[in-house]
Amino acid sequence: MGEGRRVVITGIGTVNAAGAGGAAAVAESLADGRSAIAPVAAFSVDRCRSRLAAEVEAAVLAPLIDQDRARRLSRVCQLAVAACELAVRDAGVSGGAGLGIVVGTEHGDFRSSEGFAAGFLRRGPAGLSALIFPNTVMNTMASLAAIAIGAKGPCVTLNQPTVAGDLAVARAAALVAAGRAEAVVAGGVDEICEVVYRKVAEMGALSPMRDDGTEGCHPHDPAHNGPVAGEGATFLVLEDLESARSRGASILAEVVDAAWGGVRARAHGARSRRMDRDSPVGRLVRRHGRSHPGFTRCYGAGNGDPAVDDWERALLAHDLDGRVGPGIVPPISLAAQFGQHAGLGALRAAAAALDAAGGNGPVLVHGIARGGCRTAVVVSSPDALRAA
Amino acid sequence: MSDTRRSVGRAPRVVVSGLGVVSPFGAGLKAFWSGVSAGVCAIKPATLMETDGFRSRLAAEVPADAMAALAASRRRSRADRMALAAAGEALADAELVGGDRARAALLVGAVGGGMYEGEAWYWQETRSGRSAPGDRALRSILPFSHAETLAGRLGVNGPRETLVMACASGAASIAMGADLIRAGVVTAALVGGVDALTRICFMGFNALRLLSPEPCRPFDRDRRGMSVGEAAAFLVLEDADRCRERGGRVYARLLGAGTTTDAHHVTAPHPGGEGMIRAIRLALEEARMAPGDIGYANAHGTGTPQNDGTEALALRSVFGDYGLLVSSTKSLIGHTMAAAGSVEAVATVLALQHGLLPPTANLVNVDPEIPFDCIPGEARPAAVTAALSNSFGFGGQNVSLVFGRGDGH
Repeated sequence: MGEGRRVVITGIGTVNAAGAGGAAAVAESLADGRSAIAPVAAFSVDRCRSRLAAEVEAAVLAPLIDQDRARRLSRVCQLAVAACELAVRDAGVSGGAGLGIVVGTEHGDFRSSEGFAAGFLRRGPAGLSALIFPNTVMNTMASLAAIAIGAKGPCVTLNQPTVAGDLAVARAAALVAAGRAEAVVAGGVDEICEVVYRKVAEMGALSPMRDDGTEGCHPHDPAHNGPVAGEGATFLVLEDLESARSRGASILAEVVDAAWGGVRARAHGARSRRMDRDSPVGRLVRRHGRSHPGFTRCYGAGNGDPAVDDWERALLAHDLDGRVGPGIVPPISLAAQFGQHAGLGALRAAAAALDAAGGNGPVLVHGIARGGCRTAVVVSSPDALRAA
Repeated sequence: MSDTRRSVGRAPRVVVSGLGVVSPFGAGLKAFWSGVSAGVCAIKPATLMETDGFRSRLAAEVPADAMAALAASRRRSRADRMALAAAGEALADAELVGGDRARAALLVGAVGGGMYEGEAWYWQETRSGRSAPGDRALRSILPFSHAETLAGRLGVNGPRETLVMACASGAASIAMGADLIRAGVVTAALVGGVDALTRICFMGFNALRLLSPEPCRPFDRDRRGMSVGEAAAFLVLEDADRCRERGGRVYARLLGAGTTTDAHHVTAPHPGGEGMIRAIRLALEEARMAPGDIGYANAHGTGTPQNDGTEALALRSVFGDYGLLVSSTKSLIGHTMAAAGSVEAVATVLALQHGLLPPTANLVNVDPEIPFDCIPGEARPAAVTAALSNSFGFGGQNVSLVFGRGDGH
């Protein structure tokens, strides 16, 4: 088992509503900055209180998954497999016992679960599909991606709202640091499924959350009125520094540290006055705060849900006392560009890595979800590694 | 100390200081060990779902009177109620209070979430063709709802994760919770798994033709498949030094864990057991033990022809023919899915504590391809000092845990 391992980011892969590709594609999307949110095209939203989403067009996914695989894999599995393949290609890393995978997701393959149950309700036991059933288990995306990229190390699926992608990156950093894997492909995936979209909208969890509001994603804005659903998959390759160096990998950034925790809250609840006594951000600041003048940026989980936005600003203002500034509190949100989905946390980590690669760092990637799950990842420039 | 980077010094040792179970034997650790050590098979005709037209009509359900007696509100999902009871028992058993509890990590292995209630809503709405009220069921349908419920109700507010690793979920929560202690992130972790029966699970294994029409009989020549069950089981893991400092009980030591993936097939294990073998060897390596140091293996042992055969192959590959004692808890309480890994870890810990190895029920004619003493029928007294617990799941997920006997208080 390795001890004191340093963790670096060596590749990025994404399939999202703004496009698909490796680190260069993510950098291009971020620089472009245009929102991919538009009226829902995949299904009718008649009599639905929400009408917007950031959807992945079929033309984006089709070149990445051949017809044979497209027949065998559900759509959310296609998204995960394609993004993981792009990430390992970007990193130039190979499969094997040293390669792990961590997939964060909020909804999993709910479309398959509904299809499986609907088969029974239509035709009884004869309507049950043995091919669909494995997809009803939420680890199906990770399992199929592991097969596709030859990952034989730990294969972990984390179910979490809002911050699943960031949590996956943090957990992956811990796996590499602990010597459980030489490299881990980590990120998040979700797809928009009609039955889930309709129900979540009906329950008032999507914009417009207030009846008097206009639908749209406006994180940390006084007009914020709920999140807009997005979909896609984004994965990063996190790797042990020595392994990356020994294979001559191009290093984008270092994951200086990562932590996660919980703030006491009711299930699904958010309380902007509830502070975090054992804050993961506080822990990281205490450990690393003296070595640099502060974070240059913070990418946050605020997604337009007023309760989450307000809670995030209050928590960060408390934890970063004296270090606040533009782009830190309130933090930068990518939700208005890509929509809320589990890949968003990994996109935030990817944005931080690209900032760091450009010499801007250290960058804090922060996450807070209803229910109190909280994450913090610090990403820094690889420049410091040259002397190490 | 870093959250992600191990200290260069000696990593903390991890001990088990509290246990809690809700199982088909009822609520509580005592009921669980009483049933397991007596070799009682709790697999019976299913009452929680329609079984007409299915290959099996059997399941191991938590008894209705035990469910009715649980303290948690009946407005919560069945799985949340089971989890609250088992996790609460584990915390009370460990006497983990104050800051030790508030800062503890919470890792929950789960698959079905509150799907049992979600299915009832979906059945009603689809069959009636009219919109049915389902907000309460839908809010707790996803697996992460268990962790939110446990954190909120039990005041466990450290690092929180919901691990969905199929039938290895519960064991993975133990392996990864231990890693957080070894890394110095926390001094205690509440870890475990929960799954209530769901129609989708029952129907799915039926569709795969993996359900046995009779109570499952792992390792038997005539085994015909698995039986599904439901349970919740939680363990309190602690930094050994902190546990000793506060006068906590030590049931057992968690000496090693191995987590691997086959990367071979979504439902079938690698035919040579390659991933299983690596997981077992990694766990032994971390425990700094030779195969001969392990006296007992609590097998994954589902009762399907393929699983039992491949697991036996993997065990033989690592342990040879020296006489490892092996048994399957699933023969007693069925396959409890995400809870299985933690339920079986509890059984393994109790076996070490009591010096009594649980039997395999329904085992009449041992498969000649399985060259182990599988403890048929009756529990076997044996002063074993270290034991292995295997959990393998869909997607080729393999987790092996090595426990060593504890030293009491």
